[in-house]
Amino acid sequence: MNTTTGVLVIGAGFSGLGTAIRLSQAGITDFVICERAGDVGGTWRDNTYPGAGCDVPSLVYSYSFAPNPNWSRAYSGGAEILAYIRHMTDQFGLRERIRFNTDITRLVYDDDTGTWTASTKDGHTITARAVVSAVGALANASYPGIDGLDTYRGHTMLSSAWDHSYDFTGKHVAVIGTGASAVQIVPELVAMAATVKVFQRTPGWVLPKANPHHPSWLTELFRRVPTTQTALRQALFYGHEAMALGVVWDSAVTTLLQQVSRRYLRRAVADPWLRRRLTPDYRMGCKRILITSDYYPALQAPNCKLITWPIYALSANGIRTAEGIEHQVDCVVFATGFDVYNAGTPFPISGSGGRVLGDEWLAGAKAYKSVAVAGYPNLFFTLGPNSGPGHNSLLVYSEAQIDYIVQAISLIRRDGLRSLEVRKDVQEEFNRDLQRRLARTTWNSGCSSWYLTGDGFNATMYPGFATQYARGLATLDPDDYLATKAG
Amino acid sequence: MAHDFDTMLRTIKDKQWSLADVDWDAPGAETITDEQRPKLKQFMADLVWIENIGAMGFAALADKAPTETIKQIYKYFHAEEQKHANAELALMKRWGMLDDGETPEPTVQVKMAIWVLDNFSDDMPLTGLATLIPMLECALDGALVKFLLDEVSDPVCHEVFRHINSDESRHIAVDFQVLDVVGAGPVRRQLIESAAVLKPQVLLGLIVVFVPLLNKMRDNIVAMGLSEQKLYNAVKRFVSNGDRSANTRRIPAYQMFKQQARMVIDRTHPYHRFLADPLVKLTNAFPARLLGKPPSWSKELTHEPVDR
Repeated sequence: MNTTTGVLVIGAGFSGLGTAIRLSQAGITDFVICERAGDVGGTWRDNTYPGAGCDVPSLVYSYSFAPNPNWSRAYSGGAEILAYIRHMTDQFGLRERIRFNTDITRLVYDDDTGTWTASTKDGHTITARAVVSAVGALANASYPGIDGLDTYRGHTMLSSAWDHSYDFTGKHVAVIGTGASAVQIVPELVAMAATVKVFQRTPGWVLPKANPHHPSWLTELFRRVPTTQTALRQALFYGHEAMALGVVWDSAVTTLLQQVSRRYLRRAVADPWLRRRLTPDYRMGCKRILITSDYYPALQAPNCKLITWPIYALSANGIRTAEGIEHQVDCVVFATGFDVYNAGTPFPISGSGGRVLGDEWLAGAKAYKSVAVAGYPNLFFTLGPNSGPGHNSLLVYSEAQIDYIVQAISLIRRDGLRSLEVRKDVQEEFNRDLQRRLARTTWNSGCSSWYLTGDGFNATMYPGFATQYARGLATLDPDDYLATKAG
Repeated sequence: MAHDFDTMLRTIKDKQWSLADVDWDAPGAETITDEQRPKLKQFMADLVWIENIGAMGFAALADKAPTETIKQIYKYFHAEEQKHANAELALMKRWGMLDDGETPEPTVQVKMAIWVLDNFSDDMPLTGLATLIPMLECALDGALVKFLLDEVSDPVCHEVFRHINSDESRHIAVDFQVLDVVGAGPVRRQLIESAAVLKPQVLLGLIVVFVPLLNKMRDNIVAMGLSEQKLYNAVKRFVSNGDRSANTRRIPAYQMFKQQARMVIDRTHPYHRFLADPLVKLTNAFPARLLGKPPSWSKELTHEPVDR
């Protein structure tokens, strides 16, 4: 079966839904949203592990065009964020526009018609003038390549595919990984399980997180006087913007933030050896900063132990580390991160003249303003290359991308264009400047992280303030693009 | 000389072994005689603690490693030295020298060495640590372990030390490769690093702690019947390995430890009469409680192959 539509939006997470809302508000209503799962929510639908939450305050980690006065606390948990996404879906009447359980397997551009055809796993096709890929940056996770993984007879689970049927009560549990998900999971598991062993390869910089409940009067104030919510959102936004001085650029502020983190570690952890193992040896910001006040206390609980010996294999009953001991556990939780597409695409994309985006991005993904790619007309990305923030809400970036994309699609429709394609020279110049600016950032300061490809190319982060990023995307300059009229 | 540290790291990962691979209840424990047991217990205890101190030395080296790959290698070596200590504890347990969960009490010299490492290893320059460790390893590998295997016929002991020796051969190879890399650095850096050894706390740590520690162990082992020839061979190995590289020869710390090693093996050298022996006496009388609580890293040793 083939469907034809004006715009195909791939993904019903934050970005896909946001795109659909803004398209509707711009009067573009002939769009279809394809979602591979059976519900909306993307990463917040998938990541339901105990303790899941956002490390950016909810007032900023929400869309300005869909304000929510009812956040229960400063940093909301995953369930509340998912409820917000579901509410937003219903509020803007998007549910009936979504084709659930529709997994896109391939995307092919036809130069003659200026349209894209998407193939789905169940054998259907969807043809659209424009496509918005809102597949998410952290949508896929897989088990890491540890020797003997298949020989382990206990229970295993990925943090992003939590097995809620498993009862941790009285169990001996291992958590592999100490990143953003792990620091949220560990305190919850320590409260539930008999013992928890946390296997760390590299410690992260930790900053404490104050997470007060929103008092009822504040919620009431937000409802009655929405501008107060907007004002607080702005204040939080600019507070986070200031953090860029230390988190984005490797500067004296980075050193200052490191001192704050070290002081917190000294106060929170009494044992010098444990403290030493929790002290990072790279510049703060180079890997994702961990915002938590629960992690260090959990690590020091009598039933919890931090293991820093290198893991070399899994055996039938547990984890073998290089100090010669087999750590026998009933369950291994892999909080080992996501498959980041900084050097490829989640499904094959063939553009103008049959070029394949995955091949072009093999050495590192490149785009213009993270949204458009030369050779791939009428195709737009949310959370595309170099759009990641280290210091502020991802949704601010996402909102800027969406509005830029809506401008592009409006231009195609207004001028009756067959294709709108970013100029190659413009894209190249943009990336030259971007990589030059990235050289001075903490991400490129020498540590290895998921921000970088194996060769050290940074295809994920934006080297600047969120304000700067949003300003860059505020107005679409038609001169940056090659436009071809239909017919 | 170009060294392929990436291949070495891969080999290290491939050669991992676990205490659980060894059948600790296999026959052979009965070959240890009642006569051997008390002396062997002291020998093994010293060996365990030397491994633990070596482990911590590698942890300190990991923080100073010149490249990311060498850092990873040192992290493995840190763990492997811990593994050797754990395996030696498991042998002691097998031979009826330890109760469940027991770790042998370290001598006052070992306690002092732990204290110095805990407090000052971060101040020690890379060259100092990187030279001291291969010297200890050559002594361990070339003399102590050979002696042990001559004395003990327990096949499990021989199996365990086949693993340990295989690991140690890689440790020693990397130790000297790193010395070669470090020695190739600018003279200015060598001088700065050498000056760091002269910092009062580092110098005091080396003299007051490691001189008597080495001497006491040396004398204990010789008293047990280790021939001085074996010690001589071990130091010869250290020197011939080190002298093979012109870069290593340029490192002042290497020259210093080489001289010390020569003095240690020669019992007639005035070093013993005027420095080492008096320091052994002095440290024997040192009240260990002044060192405070031992650091938690020194309490992580275990003879249990499996931890649940």
